[in-house]
Amino acid sequence: MKLTRRSFLRYSGLVFAGMNVSSSVLAALERQLAKATKPPVLWLNGSSCTGCSVSFLNRIADSAPETAADVLVSTIDLIYHPTLMAAAGDAAASVLLRAYHEGGYILVLEGGVPTAFNGNACVVYSINGEEVTYMQAVTELAAKAAVIVCVGTCASFGGIPAAGPNPTEVVSIHELTGRPVVNLSGCPVNPDWVVWGLANLIAGAPVELDGDFRPMALYNRDLAGASVPALIHDKCPRNSSVNPSAPPEATDFGQDGRCLINLGCRGPATKARCEGCWNGKAGQANWCIGVNAPCHGCVEPTFPGPESFYQTYTV
Amino acid sequence: MPVISAAIDPITRIEGHLKINVNIDTVNGVQQVVDAWSQGTLFRGFEKILEGRDPRDAPIITSRICGVCPTAHGKAAALALDNAFGVTISEPARLLRNLVHAACFVESDILHFYLLSLPDYIRGPEMAPWLPGLDVGTRLDRRTEEGLRGHYLQAVALRRKAHEMGAIYGGKLPHTPGFIAGGFTAVSSAENKTAFQALLDELTAFVRDVYIPDAQVLASLYDEYFSIGKGYGNLISFGVFRQSVGGASTLFAKGRFVDGMAGVQPLDVAQISEYVTHSWYADSANNQHPSVADTVAQHPKHDAYSWLKAPRYSGANYECGPLSRMTINGDYTNGVSVMDRHLARAHECLKILTAMQGWLAALPVGVSAFTPPTLPRNAVGVGLTEAPRGALGHWLHIEDNVIQRYQVITPTCWNCSPRDEAGQRGPLEQALVGTPVARADQPVEVLRVVHSFDPCLDCATHVMCAGAATQRLELWQPPR
Repeated sequence: MKLTRRSFLRYSGLVFAGMNVSSSVLAALERQLAKATKPPVLWLNGSSCTGCSVSFLNRIADSAPETAADVLVSTIDLIYHPTLMAAAGDAAASVLLRAYHEGGYILVLEGGVPTAFNGNACVVYSINGEEVTYMQAVTELAAKAAVIVCVGTCASFGGIPAAGPNPTEVVSIHELTGRPVVNLSGCPVNPDWVVWGLANLIAGAPVELDGDFRPMALYNRDLAGASVPALIHDKCPRNSSVNPSAPPEATDFGQDGRCLINLGCRGPATKARCEGCWNGKAGQANWCIGVNAPCHGCVEPTFPGPESFYQTYTV
Repeated sequence: MPVISAAIDPITRIEGHLKINVNIDTVNGVQQVVDAWSQGTLFRGFEKILEGRDPRDAPIITSRICGVCPTAHGKAAALALDNAFGVTISEPARLLRNLVHAACFVESDILHFYLLSLPDYIRGPEMAPWLPGLDVGTRLDRRTEEGLRGHYLQAVALRRKAHEMGAIYGGKLPHTPGFIAGGFTAVSSAENKTAFQALLDELTAFVRDVYIPDAQVLASLYDEYFSIGKGYGNLISFGVFRQSVGGASTLFAKGRFVDGMAGVQPLDVAQISEYVTHSWYADSANNQHPSVADTVAQHPKHDAYSWLKAPRYSGANYECGPLSRMTINGDYTNGVSVMDRHLARAHECLKILTAMQGWLAALPVGVSAFTPPTLPRNAVGVGLTEAPRGALGHWLHIEDNVIQRYQVITPTCWNCSPRDEAGQRGPLEQALVGTPVARADQPVEVLRVVHSFDPCLDCATHVMCAGAATQRLELWQPPR
């Protein structure tokens, strides 16, 4: 059952070819993973729903790391994750303290930062009997991180907890810290985007970001890696200008296979490689539009916005 | 010996943020928990976020309350909308809602037993995030422990497949967009029914041949946990998985089981009210029914220690979850304890998978699952269902076509609630009292009781502890 770094590398050529990563990145990843130590990964949850952690566990690919278990065993050194780790209490919090003193870790953050009530809307652990808010934890841990990865729309942009009157005054990680981040947005994040992001960062590969600090390769290109189209509507098989044999646009729910633009679909305003990439192998699986549900634009900084999800979305 | 006051923060292997404070003392020669405080440490204010929105958005927004039980919220919100709009959904809609919601039960149950609970009893792989581990003792022989560890890794894959099964009709999980007012978005085909069937059969075999036997092995090796963690012994269920579109019958019946009373008692949701005496909310909201309650956060607040409210039924404490459903439905009769919760969850999982076979077989191919509702200008609605971890209610008030008020009572609000106005402990707090603790600096027994409830605190929740502590103990200090 035990997997090794070598088995990971044997397959990584396949997966990264599909992800359009160059051979020089693969070589760098190999060098990094061959080292006795790899950068530890700390994963903290803030004003979140744990959905991005659950989504990460849904990782499945034809090539290694095939599953989340493979990622945990072979690819990353996940020393802190509140949902998965065995330790609890002070033993768990001490892991963070030691990592902080050493520095140089990959800091994965799931959830935005509530700043109301002096941060006390989210307490993440105690150190020596003192409660530590997520706001304090992020501020301190970010200062000594090698890189900050925001998983999900909440950490990236605030997301649903920041919507409406923003009851707990949630801000994104970048807004709180002012530091460089890699945003992997989505509600939830797609597991392949997390694996792609971590693998590239561990390899030390340059990751080109868009204006919202998201990797161009994940949000601004299609599944084959072409530079256009990025917008979901512009590559959607239900769009008659993409697929001339597509049936007419849906006028109400329950009309199978039709374009959902009149039912609130935010595909024309949403850049993501979502097509066929959820809950299965990339390109062969499902997505929201696949079950006749409008795209809700969950990867965008504008999600959820005050607009109805079920009225025509005006860009 | 002085009373030892111990704080466990964070409680890991749950969903969301939880801190447990316990007082430990020696009573009749046994070192045990003598008092406990359950402290939810996250508040997001979903009820306020919903105000002013299109009511139809409620399933999409409320799904994000929890990434482990998103379909429960999506379904509760859709039920509240159906109720408010006066729409009766179609048979395909009932079947699709049941199938996708049930897929998430199966996912959640496998996740809970193997990934969240098992590390309280076995040592995991010798690497992070399973190291540093807990001192779980040596009760399991090497072969049994290795077998369970192998099943843990197998469970990672099987829980994923449960989500893949649900996503065939849900589109994506967590956070399916499929639950809508008036039905469900997906339309079944012969192909997707075949794909669903294959995963359903694989999961059924795993639960029947691996999960249930593993739960039984754990129960036999740790049989003292049949008499640990009982708490009040009162059980509540709102009922879930409708058996027909118009009827009231559900696969798991609604009702109450009251400790010491024979038979199942009726459920009258009008008897539910929420206390905020010890919660970070303004006292103006105290002792209100959820249909009229408001959520006004107040922090700091004297005597408050949690972001969870304290729901009570006629002023009494009730526990919810698989054990409640199975007991009320007559499918489980052994008792209320840590191990009863695990066994009831495992057996319930198989009962749900068996019912799914029938729902899938009955699902017509190519038929719309949507009944167009008429959107009322003003209306009220209630949606009652069950999440994997227990009773879930959504209460909705529409005015001038938008959400004027929204209230949610989650299962973990019942189970992990703080004390109420009368000073009664919440169910988990009460269940912890009397738990024997061998090593006060490593109270793994406390974690076993906590995890048996499958807490999911992504729903509300912070805290300062009261308590007559004379000695503070730091737990699980790792070697330097």
